[in-house]
Amino acid sequence: MGRKTNLAGVACAVALLSLVPALASDYHVSVFLDLLMWIALVESWIILSGYTGYISLGHSAFFGLGAYFMAMTWTKIPYVLAVLLAGCSCAGFAFIIGYPFLRVRGPYFVILTLGLTEFTKFLFINLEIKLGGTVGRILMMAPSLHTLYYSVLVVCLAATGAAYFIKNSRFGTGLFSIKEDEDAASALGINTSFYKWLSFGISAFFPGMVGAILALRRSYIDPYTVFSPIVSFQVIVMAFLGGIEDVEGALLGAVMLTLVSEALWARYPYYYMIILGAVVILMVKFLPLGLFFPIRQRFFKESRARG
Amino acid sequence: MNLLEVKRLHKTFGGVSALTDVSFTVEKGEIVGLIGANGAGKTTLFSVISGSYPPSKGFVYFKGTDITGKKPFEICRRGLVRTFQVVRPFHNMTVLRNVTAGKLFGKDRIKDQRKAEEEAHRILQFVGLSTKAYSPARELTLADHKRLEVARALATNPELLLLDEVLAGLTPTETSEAMKMVKEINQHLRITVVMVEHVIKAVVGLCDKIFVLHYGRKIAEGTPKEVTENPEVIEAYLGERIEA
Repeated sequence: MGRKTNLAGVACAVALLSLVPALASDYHVSVFLDLLMWIALVESWIILSGYTGYISLGHSAFFGLGAYFMAMTWTKIPYVLAVLLAGCSCAGFAFIIGYPFLRVRGPYFVILTLGLTEFTKFLFINLEIKLGGTVGRILMMAPSLHTLYYSVLVVCLAATGAAYFIKNSRFGTGLFSIKEDEDAASALGINTSFYKWLSFGISAFFPGMVGAILALRRSYIDPYTVFSPIVSFQVIVMAFLGGIEDVEGALLGAVMLTLVSEALWARYPYYYMIILGAVVILMVKFLPLGLFFPIRQRFFKESRARG
Repeated sequence: MNLLEVKRLHKTFGGVSALTDVSFTVEKGEIVGLIGANGAGKTTLFSVISGSYPPSKGFVYFKGTDITGKKPFEICRRGLVRTFQVVRPFHNMTVLRNVTAGKLFGKDRIKDQRKAEEEAHRILQFVGLSTKAYSPARELTLADHKRLEVARALATNPELLLLDEVLAGLTPTETSEAMKMVKEINQHLRITVVMVEHVIKAVVGLCDKIFVLHYGRKIAEGTPKEVTENPEVIEAYLGERIEA
């Protein structure tokens, strides 16, 4: 597959996705909106966790913070500005906590980021009660479904583009070296602390924006739903299904799981979770690099190496 | 001017002394050997010099500037790089990308990916790994892993290369090939080399100067001939002579 065919494929996909609101019913538009949201979340997640191996459960926290940023600024500042600022404040927050957080490795980092999600959740539960005397917030006069759809599309493309360019850049080589052997990477001149910190911030930027848009889409938010760790878990399941080291893998995982859950969730809620759990266990056992990895091995040069 | 100067270096790990009052200098252009029995502190010394551990006391000067306590990546960017005794390649990357990483980040780093790859190819040719450029590093043999370890370090464009047992575990043929490589690194690439080695024949054949560590202390230094005839060194290696 050459560069040109790839580019043409991407252009076609983008064109089709931007035509969705014009062609499909509102129900289908919201299914696609959901799909694009998950793609944006998974692609931004792999920038840190897929490339450096620091598995983060913090995406829920950034998603929730983005949502609350929107809830607190909605109707006070313009929509697009609010979305951008939500992303920036999440990236800023990640830069602040990243410094101490990224000093721990492996399972300790996972637990720490899970703690972050719980911490932000309970912080906002208390803030709501103390300041507002309520449990949640209603957002009135939300933009139309189509506006929201196009904004998620833009965020999704930006996240995917960022994941793609980082992977193939000098920065990406640094991140993959950290994943392989952090000490050896440092011995080769890679500023490992700075690289991890930077990718953590970039990775947090996108869920912040997605959270802000989704707050308006849901029109009612409370800390339990927007800071739900399920968001992080689902992102991880999607990434592992498709492949955590590939832009295409992350995309594949997000598409598969969104479509399957759309088809099965409503009809068989209990069996669905059981089957999903079993699939994840089997995947980790037999295809730890995700479904996309064997595909890449077949069709691409230099295939036996990851990274 | 001394390229490297180590001054009264101490390193303790929770009360256990790994290095005690170690001082030595390395001149530009030399090949220096560092020998000593297992546990003598050779690898610890390398780790302290290259920044993996901070020393408990003492100083390390490189090209006249104090680099004590600097991080490994900073020291690497100044032109001092180490290899690891237990090879640590990036297993899941291709051999080429391993070396490219060194080019992208080391001293005089090349930030353009394609140019860095071209340079990396040249280094692979130098160490004799060209044919395996596109194999994942994990598929290499031990001898090739050691070459890759050296290639990756060379890619950072060092002035001083610390080689930690690059000959260990190699067959006699592989050993003489690797010795030739070290000599070329020194003579053609004009890189100063400090090598930790157990293969005495190699050290004697290659080095201008040898230091001997014993229980964390420097017990001897000099030319290969002086050191191998030093009674204290013989005792450290072979044990005390028992007078009958």
